[in-house]
Amino acid sequence: MMDFLRLLARNRLAFAGLIVMGVVVALAILTPILPLAPPDVTNTANRFQPVLSEGAWLGTDHLGRDLLSRLMWGTRLSVAVGFAAALIAATLGAGIGIVAGFYGGRTDNIIMRGIDMLMAFPYILLALAIVAALGPGLMNALIAVAAVNIPFFARNIRGITVGIAHKEFVDAARLSGMKDARIILSEVLPNVIPVIVIAMSTTVGWMILETAGLSFLGLGSQPPQADLGSMLGEARSALITNPHTSVVPGAMILVIVMAINLLGDGVRDALDPRLKSGALSRPMPATKVDRKTIPYQGDNTDDSLLNIRALETQFHVKNRVYRAVGGVDLRVAPGQCLGLIGESGSGKSVTALSVMGLVASPPGVITGGAAYYKGEDLIGAPYKTLRALRGDRISYIFQDPLATLHPLYTIGDQLAEAIRVHHPVSRGEARARAVDLLKSVRIPNAESRANSYPHELSGGMRQRVGIAMALANDPDVIIADEPTTALDVTVQAQILSLLNDLRRERGLAIIFITHDFGVVAQLCDHVAVMYAGRIVEHGPTNDILRAPAHPYTARLMACVPELGQGRRELAAIPGLPPMVDQLPAGCAFAPRCDMASAACKTGDIALGTTQTGRAVRCLTPHTTAPVEVEV
Amino acid sequence: MAGYILKRLLSAIPVLFGISVIVFVIMAMIPGDPATAILGSYATPENVEKLNRDLGLDKPMVQRYFIWLGNMVQGDFGRSFSLNRDVLDEVLDRFGATLILAGTSFVLCSILGVAAGVVSAARQYGLADKAITFAVLLGISIPSFFLGMMMILIFAVKLRWFPVSGMWPIYGARDVPALISHLTLPALALAVVATGVIARLSRSAMLEVLRQDFIRTARAKGVPERAVIWRHALRAAMVSIIPVLGVQAGFVLSGAVYIEMVFQWPGVGRMLVDAILQRDILLVQGGVVFVAACYVLFNIAVDVAQSLLDPRIKT
Amino acid sequence: MSTALKLTDLSKVFPVGKRLFGPPKAQVRAVQPVTLSVEAGETLGIVGESGCGKSTLARMLVGLLPPSTGTIEIDGQPLDNADPALFGRKIQYVFQDPISSLNPRKTIRQIMEAPLRHLHGMGPSERAARIAEIFAAVNLRPEFLDRYPHEFSGGQAQRIGIARALAADARILILDEPVSALDVSVQAQVLNLLADLKQKFGLTYLFISHDLAVVEAVSDRVAVLYFGSVVEVGPADQVFAKPRHPYTKLLSESAPVVGRPLTAPEGRETELPDPLNPPKGCAFCARCPNAGPECRDQVPPLTQQDDGVWTACFHPL
Repeated sequence: MMDFLRLLARNRLAFAGLIVMGVVVALAILTPILPLAPPDVTNTANRFQPVLSEGAWLGTDHLGRDLLSRLMWGTRLSVAVGFAAALIAATLGAGIGIVAGFYGGRTDNIIMRGIDMLMAFPYILLALAIVAALGPGLMNALIAVAAVNIPFFARNIRGITVGIAHKEFVDAARLSGMKDARIILSEVLPNVIPVIVIAMSTTVGWMILETAGLSFLGLGSQPPQADLGSMLGEARSALITNPHTSVVPGAMILVIVMAINLLGDGVRDALDPRLKSGALSRPMPATKVDRKTIPYQGDNTDDSLLNIRALETQFHVKNRVYRAVGGVDLRVAPGQCLGLIGESGSGKSVTALSVMGLVASPPGVITGGAAYYKGEDLIGAPYKTLRALRGDRISYIFQDPLATLHPLYTIGDQLAEAIRVHHPVSRGEARARAVDLLKSVRIPNAESRANSYPHELSGGMRQRVGIAMALANDPDVIIADEPTTALDVTVQAQILSLLNDLRRERGLAIIFITHDFGVVAQLCDHVAVMYAGRIVEHGPTNDILRAPAHPYTARLMACVPELGQGRRELAAIPGLPPMVDQLPAGCAFAPRCDMASAACKTGDIALGTTQTGRAVRCLTPHTTAPVEVEV
Repeated sequence: MAGYILKRLLSAIPVLFGISVIVFVIMAMIPGDPATAILGSYATPENVEKLNRDLGLDKPMVQRYFIWLGNMVQGDFGRSFSLNRDVLDEVLDRFGATLILAGTSFVLCSILGVAAGVVSAARQYGLADKAITFAVLLGISIPSFFLGMMMILIFAVKLRWFPVSGMWPIYGARDVPALISHLTLPALALAVVATGVIARLSRSAMLEVLRQDFIRTARAKGVPERAVIWRHALRAAMVSIIPVLGVQAGFVLSGAVYIEMVFQWPGVGRMLVDAILQRDILLVQGGVVFVAACYVLFNIAVDVAQSLLDPRIKT
Repeated sequence: MSTALKLTDLSKVFPVGKRLFGPPKAQVRAVQPVTLSVEAGETLGIVGESGCGKSTLARMLVGLLPPSTGTIEIDGQPLDNADPALFGRKIQYVFQDPISSLNPRKTIRQIMEAPLRHLHGMGPSERAARIAEIFAAVNLRPEFLDRYPHEFSGGQAQRIGIARALAADARILILDEPVSALDVSVQAQVLNLLADLKQKFGLTYLFISHDLAVVEAVSDRVAVLYFGSVVEVGPADQVFAKPRHPYTKLLSESAPVVGRPLTAPEGRETELPDPLNPPKGCAFCARCPNAGPECRDQVPPLTQQDDGVWTACFHPL
């Protein structure tokens, strides 16, 4: 609750809305005891007094009634009716929605058909019909406005409830012996209430407008009683001669509704967990770069295609800094496959995405380092350069092939587009090449499959399309970000062997990101192990898997069961990986390491290299080979 | 596709049936009897009874409903006592005027709203975004009838750019330029609120889509940013924008009632309000059912458009 | 050893394309009739790929889904009423996603108290004592009780999920992919905890996973599921080392293992059959290298082989 108020107060516009609404509500409550002229007493001799006239600050209307007094009483009525309508509609609508969403099946079906029926009316027709039946009057207008808004709440809340009713904690509550009624009250309702409040706060303004509208038409409050809508309605005939009688109530409605809308948006932003984390911002075309120095490319003796130097990428969320990648060096030569292995949150994906500026920004910022492709630095390169290289020379394969393909274009079109954005070829030619690509990733019936949409393919087939897309322009480097993690083992085996064949046929350089040592062992020549944003060990795959030098590598390998070793006790690593917004000094693994000494917890530990082409970031590595610390 | 359209049309039959039941039940709740309303409170009991018999009001409700429904299906919506005219003729005349007004507004708000939403999302937190966000807030907060009145005051009375009210000039030719000059102010006033709502939802739909993985894929392919926004993101966002357009069409139609009152536009909304105040029940019933039926058909068109856009919808 | 859990011909059919009235348009058989038994104190691993029906099977076992056919017996007593509260005292469930299995708006204490109150009708002091006891057993600090689920890491949340399952005092736990949402280095912690708890409380586990190595490491026996049916059941150290069913062989050869060269175990690019249009005979027939004509026409029954392993195959390896 305090969090909510604090978030609300931080939103300046919402805060302004809150103040305006506070004043309006306070005045509305105080109206009966304020020294105002009686609102309904007519004095035709005194009609149409202008604004700021004696005894009537806002003038008088066509019957000589004091406009200020009528405005205050009218505001009181309009706001009260609007809130009442919102409350009634929200309560009834939410009740219907929760019942329909929770029970599902036939109950849901019948209720929602009824709701659809009501939504088949343009809302005013229903409101007019209700007012026609009940007769004009403010109470009846309130009923009509509430009634026409019930379907909106019911549908909204039902959708949310369906999602919650299928959550695992509801199943858990059932298994804890709770009955339906109790589950609705104690498990579902607390999770739905924020949504109800959001829906209400964003519709109160609308309800006030609607009741004012009915009064404006003469179907709401009846003379002499004033509400803002009827004041406007009565003033309409004198619009041209005495515009102030219209402007006063109209401006009041505008101010109130605007304040409520600002406040409502603030409430929504404060209650919606997705907005709370600042996630709803659009990623820029390329990651923001803000680096102080540019590292030198170094001696390029091994003619590496892609050379990443001291790369640092951070996420700036509010006032926290998450150091996702904290100085990574990697290089990959033609025909080489480099495995990048680590747990979730170790920074392996961010490293890969940083190369082509694909880290979502905001909140991502590349704060240091360089990525040289054939000697040209990609970090901070102009968008034009980056775009020309993306998918042409350096391409990506992503994890979840359903989410990474556009759902509304056929796979043939998506492949053809990948070609056409880099090569000026005709539609037909691009199409023919797309079919060839599908054949090269062994998709059966490629011609007809090219007309399929992603949702019509299985996971394995979709990932083949992902691979075909990466191959579209014969790139030099492919960065594969956990391409088989979402797949079943038998499909994974198919995809891995396909990738392996392709890389041998085409001499591709691959950076392969995974968390599975088995996959690395089978596919990669070299492997780099990441922990908390840094590479802790690097070297030829076979050497590292045979004799891991860093305690983390050794223990990670030991705690993962491997097929064929039978039933066994696992050597678990105690503790958790550190949060990258509060990294400890020294080695990030030291708190979990049983070999750590006091020296491990101070200062920066360099990545030392050995003669055998291995590197390890540890003061007491598990190897007898001499370690030379790079100066 | 033809099969899908047919299926959707067939599924509209129970909805239309339901609508007629709802309208009939609501109208049957009216206290007092219509004959008194028609003849006035000084009518003799004999005359009231005779009129009730003539109108079929002495029969049980279910029977009355089916008689009414049967007549409607044959195109007989009854006769309006206040206008002394066939309800269907009157509704058709008036609905044409409403269609011109609401249709123009709907086209305006769809195009402006979606464009504003896309620009706003593409330049999130930029100047254009802030300006659009503020304009949108103003638009959804202002009562359309008040906006209409202020437009009359400024553009018709003070500046004399447009006529004050009506659909046609009192004297002079009833041609397209005359219609446009009469249509401009009411159509704009009517479009403002819906434009705001559509712009708002388009913006958030675009922001939602722009965070999706397939946008990252498009960028990783090297698709130029303009195409990423307009070809990849907007297409996907349209899946959630189109239903909003369908709902907003209902709001435009609803808002037309106020605008018709303010601008003296001879549409079906003004007719309905007058009919309610006159207690001309047959006219209210007929008008509501007719407009609601048209709206149902319009929503089927929206569904069909949606299914053309999204291959995941089974047709 | 006695039989803790026995399923006889348990199956589940889901309707597809529901209508407001009348029968559904089609039916999908998610689980073919399955007969299995689990001995007291045993860990039975259930392994299979996505869509093989393992989660549907698990949800039927705890009463969250009513079975279409078949019976469930616990300690020799049939449980025919699909009421989770009846099941709850005898058999409990640990969910795959530890965070979403905890209500974000309740404190851990409220979550822990629910089974004690609703299944066992305990009073406040009794509940507090029991919670303290369980928390000690799963290595959770008592001060966690007044926090909310979002304050915990996946590993801790899964411990809380296990603690809740223990609170119901059931002897049988269904573990549905209990570690697949966790980080690799945390998986082993949770697996070891599960092994300790089993010792301490004499529990029986049904361990469901798609990860062959994990299943092999924790199970006494393993059942392999394919397309809704059990194709092979046998001792854990035997099933993957010496598979008798061609599908089990394919699975075990597909798993990436350090030191084994990368080969595509299947030449063809084949996948699961269409559930709406299931094959007449053996579901694996289209992918099987040694399928004969009888495989296309008849479903092979689960039969015991000479080495004690049960296999549903006409041509066991």
